[in-house]
Amino acid sequence: MSALTQQSLAAVAGFGRFGTFCGQLAIRTVTRPFYPREALAYAGLTAARCLAPVLAVTLPCGMVIALQGLQIFDLYGAQRLLSSLVSVAVLRELSPVMACVLVAAQGGSSCAAELGSMRIKEEIDATEVMGIDALRYHVLPRLLGLTLACPILGTFGALAGLLGGYVTAVMLKGEASGVYLANLWALTQPADLWAGIFKTLVFGFSIGLVATFHGFYARGGAAGVGRAVNETVVRSVLVFVVVNYLLTSALFTDAP
Amino acid sequence: MSVGPVAAVRDYFRFVAAIGRSVQREGLSWSASVKAAWDIGVESMPILLVIAGFIGSNLSLQGHAAFAPLGAQRMLGMFVSLAGVRELAPIIAGSMVAAKAGTQMASQLGVMRIQEQLDALEVMAVDPLAHLVAPRLAGIMLALPALVIVATFTMIAAAYAAAVMQLGVGGATFLRFAADGVQPIDFAYGEVKGAVFGAVICTVSCWYGFHCGSGPEGVGRATNQAVVTSAVLCVVLNYLLSEVMYGG
Amino acid sequence: MPLTIPAPEPTPPEAVIEVRGVCRAFGSNEVLKNISVDIPARRTTAIIGPSGTGKSVLLKHIVGLLTPDKGEIRIFGKNIHALPRKELYAVRKRMGMLFQAGALFDSISVGENIGFPLVHHGGGLSEDQIRAKVNEKLELVGMAGFYDRPTAALSGGQRKRVSLARAIVMEPEVVFFDEPNSGLDPITSDTIDQLIRDMKAALGITFVVISHDIVGTVGVADYICVLERGGVAAWGSTADVLKSDHPMVRAFLSRNLDLDGISGNRVPLPTARPQQPT
Repeated sequence: MSALTQQSLAAVAGFGRFGTFCGQLAIRTVTRPFYPREALAYAGLTAARCLAPVLAVTLPCGMVIALQGLQIFDLYGAQRLLSSLVSVAVLRELSPVMACVLVAAQGGSSCAAELGSMRIKEEIDATEVMGIDALRYHVLPRLLGLTLACPILGTFGALAGLLGGYVTAVMLKGEASGVYLANLWALTQPADLWAGIFKTLVFGFSIGLVATFHGFYARGGAAGVGRAVNETVVRSVLVFVVVNYLLTSALFTDAP
Repeated sequence: MSVGPVAAVRDYFRFVAAIGRSVQREGLSWSASVKAAWDIGVESMPILLVIAGFIGSNLSLQGHAAFAPLGAQRMLGMFVSLAGVRELAPIIAGSMVAAKAGTQMASQLGVMRIQEQLDALEVMAVDPLAHLVAPRLAGIMLALPALVIVATFTMIAAAYAAAVMQLGVGGATFLRFAADGVQPIDFAYGEVKGAVFGAVICTVSCWYGFHCGSGPEGVGRATNQAVVTSAVLCVVLNYLLSEVMYGG
Repeated sequence: MPLTIPAPEPTPPEAVIEVRGVCRAFGSNEVLKNISVDIPARRTTAIIGPSGTGKSVLLKHIVGLLTPDKGEIRIFGKNIHALPRKELYAVRKRMGMLFQAGALFDSISVGENIGFPLVHHGGGLSEDQIRAKVNEKLELVGMAGFYDRPTAALSGGQRKRVSLARAIVMEPEVVFFDEPNSGLDPITSDTIDQLIRDMKAALGITFVVISHDIVGTVGVADYICVLERGGVAAWGSTADVLKSDHPMVRAFLSRNLDLDGISGNRVPLPTARPQQPT
């Protein structure tokens, strides 16, 4: 059997296992028992863990948008448009995407690392042997927690991004504060806010699915845990970059 | 390993200095470096192409949506090339390599740490910094700039496709404005950013691997922290570099 | 099982490793408290003690992986913690170490693992010469024909043997064994003990064995150092240490050995086993 065939079959098997995984989780969201406390606790934990990195990333990005925006608008004398560009970019793209990239890197990989080590150290087997459903108790709360944490972090990210834009434009480059703030919402509508939140929910859900799947099925000792973390981060970013494009097509484009 | 953040930063700089001293003492294996560069490039390429492609098309859609109310949609090409070349391509390439190669380095060195293989190298009088870290550092600083170029062109090509096929913007107009949006120096700056990001990702990830806590959770934690720290540092450095390069 | 205890010699040979007043704490936990011991050349010295007394930590200090807070360690007469890196590496090329889990590189074959130091330090040996040397060591440790085997497929006992082969491939003057019996079942543990005894007879170089397995250790060691809670409880030739009155030494040694037939004057301690009639 050639290597390519083997790899393709392994990929198909992987998809199959993922599909089964999703199906098993779906059933457990509509049947008792539930563990809502654990899910909320995990959402809080993830938000706390990821807040600093999210802010550390969205703030400079806001600053860079303002920096580059000013470069272009200076050429056309359109500086007053700067704040609207920043707010549009931050709300529609920057905060959902960058915040969720960091949630994937920090929250998603922590989740995969935790579940992965639990699997390697047979703690998941021990849970099952004690008569507790491991998917329900360990996996589902983490999935829901990651999903819920993203809109919260996305909102903070948006605020940081806007702040970054303001800092660069007004404090560092000397644009007029009044003009900047007056034009901030010139091009945005409330719908943009909801679209951003919707995006983060979808992204969070995909990070959660990828992270829990890779952690839960980790194999091969400590190296396997490292591999699970690696694949989680890369694949969740891949998934939501594709989803982001599809959502943007749906939400922000007029049908041609 | 629980050290306070200040001590960790100090230790990180000592680590980097030690890498320099080891290379000075033992030299650098070019064949190992080129192999590392190739591995990093080949590993990151497929993901990078897909991500750069989707971000490029996304950029077109968002740019159009933003500029249409201002009647400036013809300038879409310029917006895409400027944002893409100056900022997005380096950041995308940097993040992908941090996620793929960074975690690979951190977890490989972390496993070696907990299985005492790093100690074994030391006792066999083989310097792990010269033998394991330095070739990866040289390799990533070769690979990332190349990946930045790949990301740039993929992004612009995907943006073009989206503009022409989804938005009905004229292809020639798009390309003309795209060419207007960038100058050769912007590409050079992108390469510099790529090299800087590469150095940061490699040294930070290797540092986390070296200082891995015990057991599989130690490796998982080191890998996790390596990605986040590298990604955050790349974004912050991106702003500082842009300020220097484009600040005016 | 009757054990042959080596007869004590009137004067031990010169010390190849001198540990002087070594102290080391991790945070508030003092792991090594003022340890001083001499490791004689060309003899086998065992450092034993209950788990957690700092045996492995002491070993890591001796090979230079850790630095003491106080005190110094001299190997071949040189204070190793004061040496610049190049000279430290020169000293390390004269020693070999068998790590607890083997510390082999899983990505390369058995033969490549053993040949690793030769490739890096061998001074221009050809591939054939390296192969020949590796095979020679493989035979010595009882693993002839394993050159091309994948390392990841080895059992625990096989890993230890390959690790030992790697430790001796550069013809070192000192070999360190970090808990050679750890993680092995009793039968494999015995075969490793026998291997160490065979190596001792074949090579006649300095061995330093860290262990918590008394039976195997007593069968191979010329000198024993007993560590207790970070300090030296007993130190001397095997025969002398077995006669020691130190309560910790007696408790530790009597767990696994039938000492009645071996020791001379000693303070009898209550044991669970009934006393044998002499």
